[in-house]
Amino acid sequence: MTSRPSLFDPDSARAVFIGRLLLAVSVLLLWQLGAGHLFDIFFFGKPTLIAASIFNDLRDPGFYRDLGVTGMEFGMGYVIGGFAGIACGVLLARWRYMAKLADPFLQALNAVPRIALAPMLIVWFGIGMSSKVFLAATLVFFIMFFNTLSGIRSVSPALCSVAKIQGATQWQIFTKIMLPSASSWIFTGLKMSLPFALVGVILGEFMVSSVGLGYRLNAYATAYNTSAALGMIMIMMCLMMLLTWGANALDARLMGWRDGGGDGAAAALKA
Amino acid sequence: MEVEQLEREAGNMTSTIAASTAGASAANPSAPASPAADYLVLSNIAKTFIARGNATNALSATNLTIGQGQFVTLVGPSGCGKSTLLNLVAGLIEPSEGTITIGGAPVRGTDRRIGYVTQADNLLPWRTLRDNVAFPLELAGVPVAERRERADFWMHRVGLAGFGDAYPSELSGGMRQRGNIIRTLIYGPPVILMDEPFGPLDAQTRIVLQDLLLSIWEESRSTVLFVTHDLSEAISLADQVVLMGTKPGRVIRCENVGIERPRDIFQIHEHPEYRRLYKQIWNDLGAQVKKAVE
Ligand SMILES: Nc1ncnc2c1ncn2[C@@H]1O[C@H](COP(=O)(O)OP(=O)(O)OP(=O)(O)O)[C@@H](O)[C@H]1O
Ligand SMILES: [Mg+2]
Repeated sequence: MTSRPSLFDPDSARAVFIGRLLLAVSVLLLWQLGAGHLFDIFFFGKPTLIAASIFNDLRDPGFYRDLGVTGMEFGMGYVIGGFAGIACGVLLARWRYMAKLADPFLQALNAVPRIALAPMLIVWFGIGMSSKVFLAATLVFFIMFFNTLSGIRSVSPALCSVAKIQGATQWQIFTKIMLPSASSWIFTGLKMSLPFALVGVILGEFMVSSVGLGYRLNAYATAYNTSAALGMIMIMMCLMMLLTWGANALDARLMGWRDGGGDGAAAALKA
Repeated sequence: MEVEQLEREAGNMTSTIAASTAGASAANPSAPASPAADYLVLSNIAKTFIARGNATNALSATNLTIGQGQFVTLVGPSGCGKSTLLNLVAGLIEPSEGTITIGGAPVRGTDRRIGYVTQADNLLPWRTLRDNVAFPLELAGVPVAERRERADFWMHRVGLAGFGDAYPSELSGGMRQRGNIIRTLIYGPPVILMDEPFGPLDAQTRIVLQDLLLSIWEESRSTVLFVTHDLSEAISLADQVVLMGTKPGRVIRCENVGIERPRDIFQIHEHPEYRRLYKQIWNDLGAQVKKAVE
């Protein structure tokens, strides 16, 4: 009875792949054939035109300069924000008085809509790279800060007690129990931060700048070059997917202990 | 051959521990050369927990004296304060009243001389079984090669050879519990607290491990305080069985087990002393268990 042709079998990699391919091809076909009839090319572009403009971008040396600048801002914002967030998270998780004192202020700072900061950023940092780095870093900082804090706070007290009985010093409990135990939270934070860092950078470039992918996108859009603008968006999408995919691969490697050795085992109940 | 060598090394290890504790008492001329009869003493212990406004009287007026190198088992109904008593001795919590002394010195906080096999396995999920077992050695700064060797030796002894690289989430409950037991035995503390260490094991593995635990203990002669809900296990292993009662949690009575050592765990049920004690304690235990579920 299980030998029925598995067209809609969710567990068959082939069936799923074929389904995805069909979906992508039909959407593209509908878009391509309907362009100019069903939807206005001015607003929605056309797959072939978008592909052509992506191709053009990829042959333009100016594109790589923009990519380099955006990548640089992204990397710096991510590293600075991530490092500061983890450091503050660790510090406040250990220093409970300071954590209580700082809590409302941190909540308030995190509640500032980052986009509202943009005009001030020009005042503070000028229109160079530092304003974008700062915007990305503030977004990453709070994610990393709150994740690290929760991670260290959710460490099982029993594990700490056992280590203490076995003779661990305070420092050993911190490095050998608390940090590893919080590492899955920290990792989740690092993954969650990736798109936020990119948003920060693109947003910054959007506001004021003369280089970067965000600037390029803005230039296309203000020239009503819809296909080129959509092409840029797709390039950004691909970059983001690549980063996320890399982060997931790294996560699977480093955090393998969480999953109980493979498919489905994590869902099984353990005594 | 390799295992033999390891056995010998482990023997040396435990004898060094024995020698160092003996040395400590020899250095003090007033201390008797023989093991102290009042090594671990709980006097008038009470422990009240306050959780969400409710006070729970977990232990009250509890007295217990344990001689050095004794194997003592604690039996009693669920919730009578057995784990609480071990936590107090381990220095993890403080008594509301009374004092606990080990070798004459009051217990203040945790102490590396006291090993504790907790009721839950509490293995570190991000470490492999080998690294979990070797953890206390790592904390003490033992070199990597040595601690690996010692961990492998102990895993071999309890039938976990070949699982050194597995993470706890990949092991069965019984395997994790064996890991939990040997990571305390590996550093040979002079006082060992065990909270239902064989709880999650099947009856056969249980008997094999009881036998193994006794032979390890014969070598090391550490002072053991062993909690169990299985009266048969309590009598088979112990020099002294302590019966605890509930509402409030307290020590009801202590029975000495006059069965010679080394014992044959597999045959001990035939022993007349075993049967006598079993009958005698069973009635009181039964009454306490009924009281606990009322
Ligand atoms: N941290 C705590 N806060 C509040 N009450 C507690 C706490 N720990 C234990 N108790 C209470 O103390 C009593 C004794 O608990 P304990 O865990 O020592 O029992 P036990 O004899 O080990 O039981 P079991 O055989 O089921 O493990 C119980 O009534 C329990 O509810
Ligand atoms: Mg208990």
